[in-house]
Formats: sequence, structure tokens, C-alpha cells
Amino acid sequence: MISLILLNGGMGARARTAGPKQFVKINGVPIVAYSLKAADEVEEITEIVLNFPPGHRDTLEDLVRDYAISTPVKYADAGETRQGSVALLLDQVTNDSVLLHESARPIVTADDFRTLIQSEHANVGFMREISFTVAPVDPDTSRVTGSLERARLRNVQLPQKFNLGDLRKGHEYASESGTPYTEDATMCVDAGVDVFFIEGSENNLKVTTPGDVNLATMLLRHEGDENV
Amino acid sequence: MSKTALITGASKGIGLETARRLAASDLDITTFILMARPSVDFDVNFAALEAQAPSNVTLVRRDVDLGDRQALIAAIHDLHGHHKNIDYLINNAGFTNPVPIHQVDFADFERSMAVNLYAPFTLVQELLHLGNRFEVIVNISSTAGITGRSGWLTYSASKAAVINMSEVMRDELKIYGTRVVCLSPGRTATALRRVLAPDEDPTTIMQPQHVAQVIETMLGPTGQYVDQQNVIVRQ
Repeated sequence: MISLILLNGGMGARARTAGPKQFVKINGVPIVAYSLKAADEVEEITEIVLNFPPGHRDTLEDLVRDYAISTPVKYADAGETRQGSVALLLDQVTNDSVLLHESARPIVTADDFRTLIQSEHANVGFMREISFTVAPVDPDTSRVTGSLERARLRNVQLPQKFNLGDLRKGHEYASESGTPYTEDATMCVDAGVDVFFIEGSENNLKVTTPGDVNLATMLLRHEGDENV
Repeated sequence: MSKTALITGASKGIGLETARRLAASDLDITTFILMARPSVDFDVNFAALEAQAPSNVTLVRRDVDLGDRQALIAAIHDLHGHHKNIDYLINNAGFTNPVPIHQVDFADFERSMAVNLYAPFTLVQELLHLGNRFEVIVNISSTAGITGRSGWLTYSASKAAVINMSEVMRDELKIYGTRVVCLSPGRTATALRRVLAPDEDPTTIMQPQHVAQVIETMLGPTGQYVDQQNVIVRQ
């Protein structure tokens, strides 16, 4: 038995959409519905803990009802930061193992969740090779400060799976050290926790810009089609 | 896994022939829910179907007027309690009263829309809300929904809407792996056709059995290769 934490509280500043990005529609369907539907198919997921942008709990509850999500859903307020949001969501979790996902990644499948659940590792997430070169820089002086070996870098994707105690340890570490993290795998590693990765799919797009909305619509519309 | 099929307008014509054909097919459908208004035709044809059906097939009769949304919703909720999942939904029930615009009684227009368009919508939406997962939905439109014809305003308009509704359903339900088939039969020897063309000799046109045969094909594995657009069935 495992809990799914579904991050859904961001306001979509980057997507520059009219409302919160959780209600952005991909192929005419609210983006959060894709993740809810995929999770609902996974028997091992016995609860979904979902946060909501301020003022939008009703919208989300309606959506959960309309899409006939049968897994029990709990709601949590969104935090000031992503890290704060995860911490609030963790308080609601009742299983020892959690999956962490974000609604901005609609191209998730039930099998993605199952792959993580079946992994021998307690802490594991999807990561993808990067096709571009990343340079470390000093943004204040515009100076390039060194080089990074592409083969030893990965694009961190979601979903991820964590042992609840390990994830809490990561958050305690982040909070004590005052380090801001934008995702939880590297945060847990810095806290001394072993985390592994599974090769992710290049289709696992994070929708953050209006262009991404178009791309995700195209990918989902043709999912399963040949010659795309 | 044995499957359940719900067929509307199943008291006669294409609906009845579809039930007959699917009951004898190898699609492993063991429960048929036949929905139609109560009528003598329904009594006689349902009894005949029961007498013919293989012993492993269960036939369920539901008397409901597809134009009565509240009654339909009540019937859907009741059905969902009794039968776990509707795998195949055949939205076949149709209504028409073909008259020129000058003579259209608005109540008839509303009834055409209620039976031909809102009933299929209501069946799909209510069942989705109940957590039903469709394998295939077949919406029966008409060639009259592709090309409007003088004197058939209300019917043509409602059937055109069925074609477009099907396209949207096909896209939206793709995430469940549901296939949405839209069939537009041309002239078919049914009671509805007699209303549309009273002087026509029904033996000279396509028979309901032919449409039923196409529906069987669309439900089966071959169907997935041809179900992407409105399929015209014409003699």
C-alpha cells in the first residue's frame, strides 16, 4: 500500500495562463485529471493527497467527483514554496511509502507508477539522459565557471517513490540547512539517503509554458498512434 | 471475461437486429440490456429473442423512454447497481417527425434532440460519473446528419450533432482506451425510415441486419482500424 502525493498547488506564473495552471486544459481536459486517472488505475495506491491553489478546493473536488476517482482523496493547502507544499502534504500521508508526482506532468501512465512501486529500491525516480550540454556559471558576473560531464547528469523527472521516513529526513535537512531545493531526490541524497533512478521517457513533459500546452496536447492526442 | 452490452432502441429495427447478431457472435457478450419504450413490438421481439438466445446469454429488458432524461438517469443508476460495467454501449434509439420548417412543432424538435442527442450524451456522462469504463461506444447517426435534406430539419440537425459529439468523445475518452464509433447508415428499412419515406418499398433498400453486421465488425478487433471517423454504411 502506497500513498500518492500529487503536487498541484503552483499558480502557473511561467505558463502565463489565465487561471492556475492545474486547470489548464490539455486536449480539452483539465491537466490534473490525467494524473488522477492514471493513479486511480493502480491498485496499490490507496490514497491520493492533493493540494490546491488558494481558493480552488471546490473546483478540484468537483473534478475528482466528475472523473469518478475511486481512490480516497485528501486535500492539503499549498505552501509558500514547493518544499513547503510537500511538507504540508506529508502530514496527511498514512502509508510508509509514498509516490510523488506533479499535475504539470500529464503524460504519466499507471504503468509508470507501477514501475516505481515494483522497484527494489525504496527511493527511486525517473530520470532522463540530457541531450544538451549544461554549463555551470556565475549569473552575477556572466562568467562560465567550469564544465560538467553530460554522461553523469540526468534530467530529474517525476513521479518518484520514497520511504516516508527518508523523505522526511530530506525535508528536515533542507529546513535545517536553509537550502532551497526544487525537487526531492537530490534533497534526500544531500541528507544522506540512498536514491536511485530509472530511465525515464522523453515524452514525460513538464507543462510550464504555452508552447508546452500545445506539445502535450499533440502528444496525448496521438498517444498509442503509430508514425507520430 | 464476459462482457455486457447496452443497446438503446432495441425493441425493433437496427437495435433489435444488433442484439440478435451480437448474442450469436464470438465477442463473448453474455449480458444484453435492451432499452426501449414499452410497446407491443418490444413484447413480441423480446420474447422471440429470449427463445433464440444461447443459454449462456442473459437478456435484460428495460422499459424507458429515452426522451425522458430523468427516467433515463434513474434507469442508468439502477442498471449500474445491478450490472457491474457496461462494456459496449450502442446508442441507437432515434426519433423523427419530418416536416418543413413552417410546420415544425418545437416540442418535436426538442424530442428529436432529447432522443437522438441528449440520451446518448446522458448515458455516457452518467456512466462515466459512476466510474464505468467503456470498451466501445457506438453512436448511430445518419447520412441525413452529413447532408441536410428538405423536410428533415429536426432530424438532420440532431444527427449532425451526433457526428460531432462522437468526434469529441473519441478524443476525450481515448485516455481510457475507449473506442468511439460513429455510424451513419443511409436508407435502412426501419420504422423510422417509413416515417421519413412512407412511399418507399422497404425491400429495395438496406436492411437492419446489414447495419447490425457492420456494428458487430466495429465492436470486434477489425473495428479499431476503421473507427477513426464517421463511418457511412450505405447500400
